[in-house]
Amino acid sequence: MKNAYYITFRSVTFAQRGERVLREAGVRCTLLRTPRWMEAQGCGYALRLWTADVEEILAALQREQIPMRKVYRQNRDGGMEELIR
Amino acid sequence: MIYLDSGATSFRKPPQVLRAMEQAMKTCASPGRGGYGPAMEAVRQVYGCREEAAALFDCLPEQVALTTSCTHGLNIAIRTLVKPGARVVISGFEHNAVTRPLHALGAKVTVAGRRLFDWEDTVSQFRKALDQGAEAAVFTHVSNVFGYILPIEELAQLCRERKVPFVLDGAQSAGALPISVKQLGADFLAVPGHKGLLGPQGTGLLICRRLPEPLLYGGTGSASRDQEMPQELPDRLEAGTLNVPGYAGLAEGIRFIRRIGPERILAQEHRQLERCVEGLKKKGLRVFSGPHQAATVSFLGEEDCEETAQRLAEKGIAVRAGLHCAPLAHESAGTIETGTVRVSFGHDAHDGQTEGLLRALKGREA
Repeated sequence: MKNAYYITFRSVTFAQRGERVLREAGVRCTLLRTPRWMEAQGCGYALRLWTADVEEILAALQREQIPMRKVYRQNRDGGMEELIR
Repeated sequence: MIYLDSGATSFRKPPQVLRAMEQAMKTCASPGRGGYGPAMEAVRQVYGCREEAAALFDCLPEQVALTTSCTHGLNIAIRTLVKPGARVVISGFEHNAVTRPLHALGAKVTVAGRRLFDWEDTVSQFRKALDQGAEAAVFTHVSNVFGYILPIEELAQLCRERKVPFVLDGAQSAGALPISVKQLGADFLAVPGHKGLLGPQGTGLLICRRLPEPLLYGGTGSASRDQEMPQELPDRLEAGTLNVPGYAGLAEGIRFIRRIGPERILAQEHRQLERCVEGLKKKGLRVFSGPHQAATVSFLGEEDCEETAQRLAEKGIAVRAGLHCAPLAHESAGTIETGTVRVSFGHDAHDGQTEGLLRALKGREA
């Protein structure tokens, strides 16, 4: 079953490289501003995507040495849950 | 006009560069600051430039920091590697963009290799200077005055073997000679956007393979609560709003070069260089030429170099005379008192330019 995820990055450039890597792997994702509450330091960009296997996505980003901040899963009730990695 | 001053800036940019700039002016807002359409278009344009540069120089997109000029990038790189009073080795053909920052830092500079077009001398003098101890090295790829292509692979190897970090100045080579920062192991590569890369003035790139010290401090659109500049590249070096139309244009310039291939551009320039050198020599002018020469040549007649350049300007021919902001290079070549007239070909080099120049030069006097 697919879920919505947010992956946050410190820099828009890392988010963009992540976007490139995922798109080339056939994963659709959207680059957007990180919701304020997700980023304690303020200001950042995130990728939003739907997937049934977030671990595969994260592994792909790690293989490309793209530093990620945090990963959140959106639950069915709309609430967000941070995935501890 | 016959434009032979590409060493200063490329003049006739590909039309797609102009179109991209105009489009960016119409469609882009501030990059990295918002999530709405025009702001996101701006980050796409900027990232496009990083990707193109990364492909050309063999690095990652985030290692491409956007600067306002090659000089800007050199200042960052030099201030990162060189602490006040440090020992630094440079070539005998460096531009003021290298020597002035070093002077301002009070660096103890050793000039290594002053013989034009002589790789053996350059390499042996560098080896000797590095063996005497150095905290950093800075060298140009191509002399902006004489077109001398330095043996950068050998110099890089000498630095790597001695664990001396180094900066490569690609002001005259980017876009015309292949450069892989990864293969060279360069700590920094600084290049202008507006010369061989065919972008607009006011753009440059600093390729960073180590964490630099910022020259500017301010907002980056990231980690805003933190009062330290971000540790991540490229944000660490990019405080303030970026010149989005400029980098959109630069991205198109690099695409143009990658499509044609730097090797093909150099071959086209080189054909004209050879014809030009031969023609200048036939006129009895003093011509500075030799092996390992890019598409730039200096010459001297009997009259003042500025008078020659002025006479050519009046005939619609653009060349540059004087010291070319590189007094060290002129000292090395023995032309510090006279300066030289510099002819530099660009991506659009063709027979008509060379013929026009040679026709306009009468003989020992222009």
